[in-house]
Amino acid sequence: MNVEYFAGPLGVIVLALAGHYLRWPRVPEIIAVWVTVTLIGTGLLSYQGILVGNWPAILVMIVNLIAATSAWDSIPWGHEHPNMRRRRYYVWWPLFWTALIAIALASNLAVAWLAIEFSTLASGALIVEMGSRRALEAAWKYIVIASVGLALGLIGIIFVYGSLRYQALGWNTLNYSNLAHVYRHIPLIVREVATIFVVSGIGTKVGMVPFHTWLPDAHSEAPSPVSGLLSGLLLGLCLITIVRFIQAVPLPSSVGFSGPHLLLAFGTLSLVVGSLALLVQRDIKRLLAYSTIEQVGIMAIGFGIGTPWAETAALLQFAFHAVIKSTLFYTGGHLSVVYHSKRLDKITGIARDHRTLAVVWATGILALAGLPPLGLAYSEWMILQALWQNNAVALLIILTAALVLTFAALLYHLLRGLWGGLDVSPAAVGLARESASKISGPETATAGGGQH
Amino acid sequence: MATAGLFVFLAACGLLWSRNMTHGVWFLAAEGLALTVMVWTSGPLTAATLWIGFATLTIKSGVIPGAMHRVISQWPTEYRQDQPLPFWAYLVAAGLVLAVGHVIQLLSPSGLILHRALFFYGLASIHLGLLMVVSRRHVLSQVAALVGIENGLVVLAASVAGALPTFMELGMLVDLLVAAAILVWMSRRIHRQFKSTDIVALRRLRG
Repeated sequence: MNVEYFAGPLGVIVLALAGHYLRWPRVPEIIAVWVTVTLIGTGLLSYQGILVGNWPAILVMIVNLIAATSAWDSIPWGHEHPNMRRRRYYVWWPLFWTALIAIALASNLAVAWLAIEFSTLASGALIVEMGSRRALEAAWKYIVIASVGLALGLIGIIFVYGSLRYQALGWNTLNYSNLAHVYRHIPLIVREVATIFVVSGIGTKVGMVPFHTWLPDAHSEAPSPVSGLLSGLLLGLCLITIVRFIQAVPLPSSVGFSGPHLLLAFGTLSLVVGSLALLVQRDIKRLLAYSTIEQVGIMAIGFGIGTPWAETAALLQFAFHAVIKSTLFYTGGHLSVVYHSKRLDKITGIARDHRTLAVVWATGILALAGLPPLGLAYSEWMILQALWQNNAVALLIILTAALVLTFAALLYHLLRGLWGGLDVSPAAVGLARESASKISGPETATAGGGQH
Repeated sequence: MATAGLFVFLAACGLLWSRNMTHGVWFLAAEGLALTVMVWTSGPLTAATLWIGFATLTIKSGVIPGAMHRVISQWPTEYRQDQPLPFWAYLVAAGLVLAVGHVIQLLSPSGLILHRALFFYGLASIHLGLLMVVSRRHVLSQVAALVGIENGLVVLAASVAGALPTFMELGMLVDLLVAAAILVWMSRRIHRQFKSTDIVALRRLRG
């Protein structure tokens, strides 16, 4: 693993502690600049890898990009939440970032597992830092459910390691390259059991549907800059860890519970449940959380199809989703502060009251709904095409229906948010016109009346 | 080695069964001690196993039970008791332990299992820990259950792989230490903010 990538988080911790004890002004700004410098450094360091399509290089670039936006968003967010203890926030935040980089770079299943477990703890601690009872409850469920899931995943990893113990390579046994080389020596039944354990165990962290119960709570109660990291990066990276495992240790497709089958099944379930739940949401961040479940489902379907085209599509979906969803979580956080509520029926009339937030929010939601010139439309189209090429017609119909439903639900919430709460009944419009004519005099009133 | 595994299993049974949290903490410490003995007797004593043993002893029967004990002793007596275990839990526990035998039958043709008795104790402890997470209601019972599952995993690993790589053992220990620290810290906050140690109090977020 390339150690230089961890200079970024380390620098944040040093800056946060130094800033605290030396009483620097503007510590969050300094940290945000440092994270941006890290992002540029990462770009310079790994642009060759990105150009040739090297997955870890691309993933690390996405991670650092979202980390930079999260660091910048932490500045206004910190002003909005003065009770948050800044020093603790800026210790857990870089630890969470470290775990994300480690998951992205891991070429070893054991390292990936340890990093995923650690990411649970760091992000859980950040949720607790919110201090409210709801946050405490969400963090407790998150840590307990995710830890149990990961323990099950570890059983699978131990089985794989146990059946390759003759290699005597230590933890290098679990390198993906080594696994891909010797997987035939693992007995079939062990491979089956291990695949089920790893997919459902780490799948708990992905938030795929039977195991998603912690996800909406944790995402809605976390600090918004952290929600962005959780939803945009962590879930997708855990999914990619599963994909790396099932690619390294494949099963014959005649086996009922092979990795791609499980991914397709869980992905479809997540897609359906996520898109159905969107319409009835009342909380702005839970809306985004359920949309994340739906998006992760689409990614899982893409990876489950398994052709290079579908995998590229799923990776693109991950990248676009990371950018869009993190932006939406930041915006949602600011909106809920501006309106003093996270309830969607209170956050109305954004277009009238907060122009900038309205533009960002509308663009983000439209992108998420899959409006064509914006990214997700393209990758979703690619996945539909891959399904068509693989003759998976039933899945194609489900995905199309779910995408239409998602579009409708998101647009409903968007329109209500932008213009809801404005009284547009004829009586109210007439009153408004009268009062306008009283203020501005008869000439403008007749001119305005003529136009309407 | 198998005897140490047996002790881990018995302590897991005790952990599930006991309502008194102070006893639970002692069962947890006993599990840690049995694991240490297992690590030290599982093969020739090398520097690596010596260190893993010491780390296990310090963390699993020192720091974690100690922190839990300290928190419990600060609470009034009514918060030191868990609710009685529901009747179905006993049936499920028996079923889960018996199911391990079936798993052994299923996996033994593959040659995965080095040590059948140890495999039984490990998987049975994990099963009891999982049952404990869903049937026990005290917040610290859940922490104890997570640590118990982790202990069962170590026994399971010893039964199929001899020992896990040093790097993984230590990584798991550190992760467990951080997890237990955060959860114990959270259970103090739950007690303070909710005036309860029953996880049924955590019911605001649903759907």
